[in-house]
Amino acid sequence: MSNVKLGLLVFWPTFWTGFPIKMVIVFLLLTAHIHPWEGTGLAALLLLSIPIDIWALGLCARTVLLERLSVEPSKGMGLRLWAQWAVFSVVYLPMLVFVMGGTKALAISATEATVHFVEESFMVIPVAEKITLELLMWTTPTTIVLIALLAGWMFGLGTLTQRVVRASTPVSGSFQDMVYKWDALRIPKDQPLFLTAFTGVGVVLVVLFWGLLPVSTPHPHEDYEFIDVKKVERKIVPKDVIKSAEKVLARAEATIKELEKENPTGDKTKDEKTPAAKEEPKPSPK
Amino acid sequence: MSGHQDPVNEPNVFEKVVDFVDERVGLKTLQAKMLNEPVPGGSRWAYAFGSVLLFIFILQVVTGILLMFYYVPSTDHAYASTQYIIHEVDYGWFLLSYHFWGSSAMVVMVFAHMSQVFLWGAYKKPRELVWLVGLALFGIVMGFGFTGYLLPWDQRAFWATVVGVEIMDKTPLIGDFMARFLKGGPTPGQMTISRFFVIHVMVLPAALMGLAGLHIFLFRKAGPAGPFRGTPEELKAKTDYFFPRQIWKDIVAMASVFLIICSLAFIEPVVLLEEATPDPGDYHPEPEWYFLFLFQLLRLKIFGGELGQFLGSIALPGAFMALLAVLPFIDTSPERNIFKRPASLIGWILVMLMILVFTVSAIINRDFLD
Repeated sequence: MSNVKLGLLVFWPTFWTGFPIKMVIVFLLLTAHIHPWEGTGLAALLLLSIPIDIWALGLCARTVLLERLSVEPSKGMGLRLWAQWAVFSVVYLPMLVFVMGGTKALAISATEATVHFVEESFMVIPVAEKITLELLMWTTPTTIVLIALLAGWMFGLGTLTQRVVRASTPVSGSFQDMVYKWDALRIPKDQPLFLTAFTGVGVVLVVLFWGLLPVSTPHPHEDYEFIDVKKVERKIVPKDVIKSAEKVLARAEATIKELEKENPTGDKTKDEKTPAAKEEPKPSPK
Repeated sequence: MSGHQDPVNEPNVFEKVVDFVDERVGLKTLQAKMLNEPVPGGSRWAYAFGSVLLFIFILQVVTGILLMFYYVPSTDHAYASTQYIIHEVDYGWFLLSYHFWGSSAMVVMVFAHMSQVFLWGAYKKPRELVWLVGLALFGIVMGFGFTGYLLPWDQRAFWATVVGVEIMDKTPLIGDFMARFLKGGPTPGQMTISRFFVIHVMVLPAALMGLAGLHIFLFRKAGPAGPFRGTPEELKAKTDYFFPRQIWKDIVAMASVFLIICSLAFIEPVVLLEEATPDPGDYHPEPEWYFLFLFQLLRLKIFGGELGQFLGSIALPGAFMALLAVLPFIDTSPERNIFKRPASLIGWILVMLMILVFTVSAIINRDFLD
């Protein structure tokens, strides 16, 4: 098996095995308003990722070695291999980023110069076509360089893994036996204990989540503030309501008595109208 | 002593309840049918996409119902009620943002699921109907995205709908009717929001539930396809039941997707633009991100004019969907290994690259509009 393939075969499942656990950490950091991609958040994430990666790498590498190469690695392989991978990646990945930055800048400037030359010499390219053309022109070489560099990284990881393979002991037995063997790696010895611990961690995480989650939006609108026009609530005190009602009734009674004194017979002339009748609605303007 | 029963063997209360229900509904038979499905070649992460889709849909229903407690589907109140959800309702901002990102996750997961089925050659005989119903489900998911996008009633929602309905209008024979039916007037208004709301919360969920049930039934009837390579000895050695390993993988995949959606809700929560008006002002109308590639494609000179617009917006996507529908009937070769089906592999890569390149182009194009 080539070193690139071996590196990829171990790296790919290792990444995805650790990913869900790291996502839990990322999300809890986010709910606590700590950005996991800068400062303290990033440091915490990287630090907590170390044991997760060691465990995931040990599990996945052992499985690949058993399934694909029929060899049994020695104990503690996860830590040893992780340390070797980490040293190599610390040297290689910054170099990858540096080379990629240079390649991208070069590809973009070459693309701009080419498109400029074509437009000056031959024809004006419409905006939509120009965008896609430029994008394809600079991303194609950049992607090829990126794939080559990633293959180089996988080659390095694979080479380090090959050293572990050479130091391992061959496994005899049928394919079925090996399947049982790597399957057993994933099954905890004490399953009820595992399920209890898993459920307990789940409960703690849910409590932490709801405890840390902001009740109202931590992201108010940039341009305007939400203004909720709330109606002024009037407090209703039953005694006061009864008192005011009694006052209104008393005033009404006094008014009626006055009206009765003014016109004891109850006759109405055409000119004299009751106060209520005097307030006729005015005709609406047309 | 006769009649003495060992207390250890006596069923406890829980077991008695289970027995009671089992006697009446056949719980244990159902459980055995659900969990003891043999998975050829053993459990795989690649098989988790379908379960994850179902999980996202269930959470979309839950968050959607919670949002409906506050949302008012009218042009007068849709925007204000959405604002109220974001600013005033306890955890409302999170629910809305989760629902928003959940819809995008559903589209991504549909693409992933369809790609996996295509690359694994799992659409081939005897799984043609599973594939066809899956395509219909894909259409429903797109419909969910389209109808839900209008509901916040801000400028982005309004103009995405205008663009979408205009594209639909170009369909021959039924396009004009469809556009008029959805809008209910010359411009999106009360009729549009009412119709989109009803389609979004009643018609599409009912259709999706029915078709998803049919999809699962047909899948269980045909059985899982299994990996496309490996010797019969290897496949037999690794074959396993659905429970517990595939269920465990599904749960981990669901938890991961849930955490990704939650994180996106935190990093990029829903922020409304100005309230919808028939005047776009400074806003440049564009559809949802998963239709951006098509939108950008229509900006190319080759798709200019009436005929070009029809070709780009209706004829080509329609032909592509028709090709997907007839795929199991024209690709009758039993070969499932994608590395031995170069045309399929190259075709898939080209389609994915086209979607990626034109989506990024549409994002870059925004700078030229400003």
